[in-house]
Amino acid sequence: MENNRLSFGQRVAIQVGRNWVTLFLVVLVVLFSLTGRGFFSPKTLNNVLLTSSPALLLAAGETFVIITGGIDLSVGFVRGLISVISAIIMRDLYAQGYSPSFCIPLGIVVGLALGLLPGLINGILVARFRVPPFIATLGMYGVANGFALRFSKGFPITFLPPEVGQIGNGFFAYFLPGRGVSFFERHPDIVEGEMRNLIGIVPYSIVVVAVLLSVFAFILSRTQFGQHVYAIGGNIDAARRAGIPVDRDLIRVYMISSFFAALSGVMSTLIFSIGTHTQFSASLELFAIAAVVIGGASLMGGKGSIWGTTLGVFVLALLEIGFLMSGILPFYRYIAVGTILVFAVVIDQTFPEVVYE
Amino acid sequence: MKKLVIVSLVLILMVGLLGGFALAQGKKPKIAWCPAIDDPFYYMIGKGIADKAKELGLELFVSEYPKAWGPEIQVPILEAVAARGDIDVIITGPTSKEALIAPLKRIHDSGIEIITVDTYIGDGDYSKPSEYSFPLTFIGTDNFQGGVEVAHHLAEMIGKKGKVFIETTNPDVSSVVERVEGFKKGMSEYPDIEIVGVEYNLDVQEKAQQQVAAALQANPDIVGVFGTNLYSAQGAYQAVVNAGLTGAVKIASWDATEDLIKALREGKVDLVLAQKPYEIGTLAVEAAYQYFVEGKEIPKRMVPRFFFFTRDNVDDPESQQYIYRAD
Repeated sequence: MENNRLSFGQRVAIQVGRNWVTLFLVVLVVLFSLTGRGFFSPKTLNNVLLTSSPALLLAAGETFVIITGGIDLSVGFVRGLISVISAIIMRDLYAQGYSPSFCIPLGIVVGLALGLLPGLINGILVARFRVPPFIATLGMYGVANGFALRFSKGFPITFLPPEVGQIGNGFFAYFLPGRGVSFFERHPDIVEGEMRNLIGIVPYSIVVVAVLLSVFAFILSRTQFGQHVYAIGGNIDAARRAGIPVDRDLIRVYMISSFFAALSGVMSTLIFSIGTHTQFSASLELFAIAAVVIGGASLMGGKGSIWGTTLGVFVLALLEIGFLMSGILPFYRYIAVGTILVFAVVIDQTFPEVVYE
Repeated sequence: MKKLVIVSLVLILMVGLLGGFALAQGKKPKIAWCPAIDDPFYYMIGKGIADKAKELGLELFVSEYPKAWGPEIQVPILEAVAARGDIDVIITGPTSKEALIAPLKRIHDSGIEIITVDTYIGDGDYSKPSEYSFPLTFIGTDNFQGGVEVAHHLAEMIGKKGKVFIETTNPDVSSVVERVEGFKKGMSEYPDIEIVGVEYNLDVQEKAQQQVAAALQANPDIVGVFGTNLYSAQGAYQAVVNAGLTGAVKIASWDATEDLIKALREGKVDLVLAQKPYEIGTLAVEAAYQYFVEGKEIPKRMVPRFFFFTRDNVDDPESQQYIYRAD
């Protein structure tokens, strides 16, 4: 369909339909700036960025799975398992006198490497044994949580090297009004009263997340593997007939998902300086799926993007923070999130040809 | 000769009777511990039960520690334990006030005594006859009272004036809801203290951090935060540290895990309420012992007090017993 054959109104409708999440995000920012005291400030931006990293990671991995028409319910508990494992490694090595510069990287690397395992198993179950993704990953949901509780005995893992929290909460630069910018460390002679005005610029964690999201957005949109992911979600049988190595690609997709979950777990350990198993009420996987769907993906498969998912995560984070700062009861936020989730799918179903012509 | 036989028969009979009587009175009960969930608190109750049972020479069976809270998980475990046939008393924390009444009643009717710890069935009052008054006793913390006491301690710390914020987990879990309600009640006695909000993080630390950071941004003059459990307090103090407000914003928290005690020592948390789960465990075993062995009447409710950790007492030797430990 060529754009110049359409009327002006149709073209506007297409743009709105395509970018409704972006528009919605802008509307939210404007709205909350009016209603929320102190909302429009670099500190709020930092709050959104800093605390959205784990959700961004879970949702990015989930995006790959959902585009193939699958679902990964295990990400929340894989995250908890890896948080516990990486923290135990850091704690035990540190207790034996190893230097933090050895035990922290080792904890991170081993955690990430083990994090590939649940995805490998999920992928093999889905691809080779034709277990429905819902069931395969529901199994892993229980297994990962069970192991996390077995290793942690239900306790948070504590007594990590003190540097852990500094890495997790560090910024590349700090700005203090009247004193200028300092890089990597807070102004050395900062006094108690000034801390309140200190503004951190670009947290480490968000840089790691931004780089990874860019890399995987590229993989999804520009590589052959990425095309295969969409093709599998579009029509898995057609993809097989077309000679796409569906089994291999599906296994990779589930490994990407659990890798992102593991990274989210490691990051949680770094930010809070404790390893925590995921609590049952957390429902992290459901929030990740909601963000992916709000970002334009379809649970039927074949649609979705990392960029859209990123917007979906920010919409959820902004709702959380904006409602709070506007003094609105948290229960209305649940209603809002539920409504927007359904709204996203209704837009998808009603105007598919407008959105993706 | 005949007399001798009669006397000895009578003697044998008396000894036998006495022995049998003594056996009936002094039977050492076999205890089953069925925790409600796998968490530090229940782990500590279990530790108190195990230590006390060992001390009194009682046999103990421990069922699995369920990974989720709920009757659908707990009831099958309880039924399996009752079906073993060798248990005299089950100590458990009912995961629902209503849903556990019928299953526990069935178990009780099969000849097993029930002691509920931490949580209760019905309204928790077993002293009046009712459909749920059959357990021997309820031993547990008064969450509402704990909330009230946290409020008083925090009010002292902030000079009885200013804005405070409550960070909690779920709006539908009775224990934390009662802590919040108790805290509000306690704070209502201070006209110059205003509670600016209650937020729910569903046990996710990032959410707690995000919410407290946002609350501090909206109300920069907040001077106190009450985190109703580990994850709430953890996120709250991280937000306060990041905002550079350590010390200026007092953090009160619930449950003395090693991590919160460490945070207290580091000055990131200012008050930690410790329940006494170990004591709850020992009291439960003692109650079973007194009932079965000594034939004593058991009080229908026992409420252990709280212990408050501050930086002043955190290093005292006698405080250490109240820290929840995994080993």
